[in-house]
Amino acid sequence: MADDEKREQMEVGSGDVDINDKKPDKMFGLKKWNLVAMWSWDVECDTCAICRVQVMDTCLRCQAENKQQECVVVWGECNHSFHNCCMSLWLKQNNRCPLCQQEWALQTTGK
Amino acid sequence: MATNHSRKRKGSGNNHRPSKKCAVEKEDIVDVMTDSERKPNFSSLSGPNGVNRNHASPLVANKPVSTRKLIIKNFKDKPKLPENYQQQTWDKLKEAVIAIHKSTSIKSSLEELYQAVENMCSHKMAPLLYEQLRVLCDEHVKSNVSQFLADSVNSPLYLKQMNTCWQAHCQQMIMIRSIFLFLDRTYVLQNSSMPSIWDMGLELFRVHIISNRSVQNRTVVGLLLLIESERNGEAVDRSLLKSLLRMLSDLQIYHEVFEVQFLEATNQLYRTEGQQLMQERDVPEYLMHVDKRLNEETERLLHYLDQSTKKALITCVEHQLLGDHLSSILQKGFDNLMEANRTSDLTLMYQLFSRVKNGLHELCAGFSSYVKKRGRAIVINPEKDKTMVQELLDFKEKLDTIVSDCFQNNEKFILALKDSFEYFINQRLNNSRALAKFVDSKLRAGNKEATEEELERLLDKIMVIFRFIHGKDVFEAFYKRILQRDFCRKSASVDAEKSMLSKLKQECGGGFTSKLEGMFKDMELSRDINIAFKQHLQNISSPDNIDLTVNILTMGYWPTYVPVEVHMPPEMVSYQEIFKKFYLAKHSGRKLQWQPTLGHCVLKASFSAGAKELQVSLFQTLTLLLFNGTEELALEDIAHQTGIEDTELRRTLQSLACGKARVIQKVPRGKDVEDGDKFVFNNEFKNKYFRIKINQIQMKETAEEQISTQERVFQDRQYQIDAAIVRIMKTRKTLSHTLLVSELYEQLKFPVKPGDLKKRIESLIDRDYMERDKDNSNMYKYVA
Ligand SMILES: [Zn+2]
Ligand SMILES: [Zn+2]
Ligand SMILES: [Zn+2]
Repeated sequence: MADDEKREQMEVGSGDVDINDKKPDKMFGLKKWNLVAMWSWDVECDTCAICRVQVMDTCLRCQAENKQQECVVVWGECNHSFHNCCMSLWLKQNNRCPLCQQEWALQTTGK
Repeated sequence: MATNHSRKRKGSGNNHRPSKKCAVEKEDIVDVMTDSERKPNFSSLSGPNGVNRNHASPLVANKPVSTRKLIIKNFKDKPKLPENYQQQTWDKLKEAVIAIHKSTSIKSSLEELYQAVENMCSHKMAPLLYEQLRVLCDEHVKSNVSQFLADSVNSPLYLKQMNTCWQAHCQQMIMIRSIFLFLDRTYVLQNSSMPSIWDMGLELFRVHIISNRSVQNRTVVGLLLLIESERNGEAVDRSLLKSLLRMLSDLQIYHEVFEVQFLEATNQLYRTEGQQLMQERDVPEYLMHVDKRLNEETERLLHYLDQSTKKALITCVEHQLLGDHLSSILQKGFDNLMEANRTSDLTLMYQLFSRVKNGLHELCAGFSSYVKKRGRAIVINPEKDKTMVQELLDFKEKLDTIVSDCFQNNEKFILALKDSFEYFINQRLNNSRALAKFVDSKLRAGNKEATEEELERLLDKIMVIFRFIHGKDVFEAFYKRILQRDFCRKSASVDAEKSMLSKLKQECGGGFTSKLEGMFKDMELSRDINIAFKQHLQNISSPDNIDLTVNILTMGYWPTYVPVEVHMPPEMVSYQEIFKKFYLAKHSGRKLQWQPTLGHCVLKASFSAGAKELQVSLFQTLTLLLFNGTEELALEDIAHQTGIEDTELRRTLQSLACGKARVIQKVPRGKDVEDGDKFVFNNEFKNKYFRIKINQIQMKETAEEQISTQERVFQDRQYQIDAAIVRIMKTRKTLSHTLLVSELYEQLKFPVKPGDLKKRIESLIDRDYMERDKDNSNMYKYVA
């Protein structure tokens, strides 16, 4: 918020003052750290070549059915990756990777 | 009064004129004759109550019942009369009539006179009697006209004179009729072409007095003058007006002689008045005047005008004072009334406008354009973003009150309000952003500022405004960004957020909020991960005693920031690595991207005055940690050692050295961080609090961030369109282009151009989600 700019908030301390005289050269010590990270599928190509939606987004069929959480990614031995749902449909017709035409061999499924 | 003009009135229906006696007599007649039989020919009467049947009945003679008895008498008294009986009797009656005309006393008793009339009728002298009476009255009425032909009398006096003459005439005719009642009931009733004695009197008055051109003219002009002076505010003799106008009605010349001229005069008066007052008065005054005029004219109708004039008169006033000025009234005063919230004036305006053709239509249009104009002024100015939402809420509330209190909750107005709101609110894309920020500030203030119910009510109101926004996804995007910041700082009121989420879900359906739900899911999952990670740390030998918590966000749900890399102290890096290993071991196929921009820390700090705890961002942390063991650092040193991007770093240093809590000092002093500035630890730092939060100085959202938010929005829209098409086609299997498009418009929560939909459909055909029908290119088929 713009009106937050430059405004400092002071909060009353809990009172447990401990003066650390042993390390006079260390003025600042890290007590607590809130680390933020974003996860994504470890893929070479962001887009699923079958449905052409980004792999981090749910494939179109799962979007239509509101099954966001279940739509994971699969990797083949060829290192190409797709939505698991898209690949399983694809495999019913064709046992080759849609990108490199190698025979499809499952390397791993994301979770 | 429908009977007013009926030619064959029996002196009924006029309260002021016929005596009570007359009214009673009339009831006697009604005993036998219904209205439709008022002029029966006795000989032809038949049916259940027919006189003929009574006539034949032998019992009739013993029945002392009204008229029936009278007729039978005709037969009983087969009389033998003296030769001069007729002349003598007539003389007696004539003398009485003349006495009535002259208002002198009658010599014979009334009983005697009734009997005389009855006898003459019984002896078939009725036609003669009637004719003689007519001639006598004729002469008298004729003689009365002379007094109205003199020039000298002024108008008010003239009217009074006329009224006196008319009243006298009525009085006389009532008395005459009561004497000649038997004649009226028997002879006259048998002849449908013959006017009753009362009507004959009216006829004579009409022919001899009022049909005189000069008399008529002077009377009508006098009446109009009197009304005009009343309209000008003078007190006039209303009973005189009433009596004379009733006279004209009774004489059946009210319409052609008076009403036409009266309406013409009224028309002219109000035409001039309307034009003049529209110039001179402001709108509330003018409306008040119109209202006053309408009330006055209604009073006039109540007091003396004939009811038949009502419609034409009121329409005339409405037309001249309102109908012709609708748009000028609106242009001149409507916005001011709305602006000043003049509810009573607006109520009056609504009431008046609803009386005339197109009035409400115009008023509604004016209302609509006011809402658009005023609303646009609220939303269009980016300077006012901070107050905009509150202003909108207030504005909406005010309009709602006006619609319900002043415009009687008229549906047209409700709809106009909705449409206009929708129109102006979508004049600027950024409204969603301001709305999101407003929601956020209210949610963060949470229970501090308002009770839970108050907060709920406020959220409901916000949803009302939200409903008008077309680009709901834009709102969502900004809301997400705000949620993210709060999540990473643990300052969100989770309950309130969830309540907002459920409201959004209600409003827009699950598809819209699915990503927000994903965000909430991430928050919950992060909690579990932290618990598991803490256990994990106990199992391995952890390097230092830092309390590490982690927020893991799913890419795609959350707004993304441009990834940055910073240099951290080795112990922090190793902590980060421990977590990464732990996490990736649990989740295969994933990768992590650190978000230093969102990280924050708690630092222990030792100043000469005592220890403090500082709540700071990760960037602030990295900067401060450099001061351990170093007296002084130059801007360039810090940049080099932390790797924080230049503007970001300057902001960070500013917050630490130039804000309220200056834990380091800048050399030289100054508000801004310049090249070559040096920084030293502020050992003398004092603060009455133990825990101190030092806010990062936030730039307004950078243009780049805004653009990336918008880009993401547009990409999301494409997916949403695609998903909706797939969803529809999956249920319908085959569907025409038109139907598909119309279903899409129903489902999508943001504005879309038909061309864009077409592109998405083409793209889905390319990708084999659907195909065109081979025979009809306007039909699509779902491909399973
Ligand atoms: Zn896919
Ligand atoms: Zn899927
Ligand atoms: Zn491949």
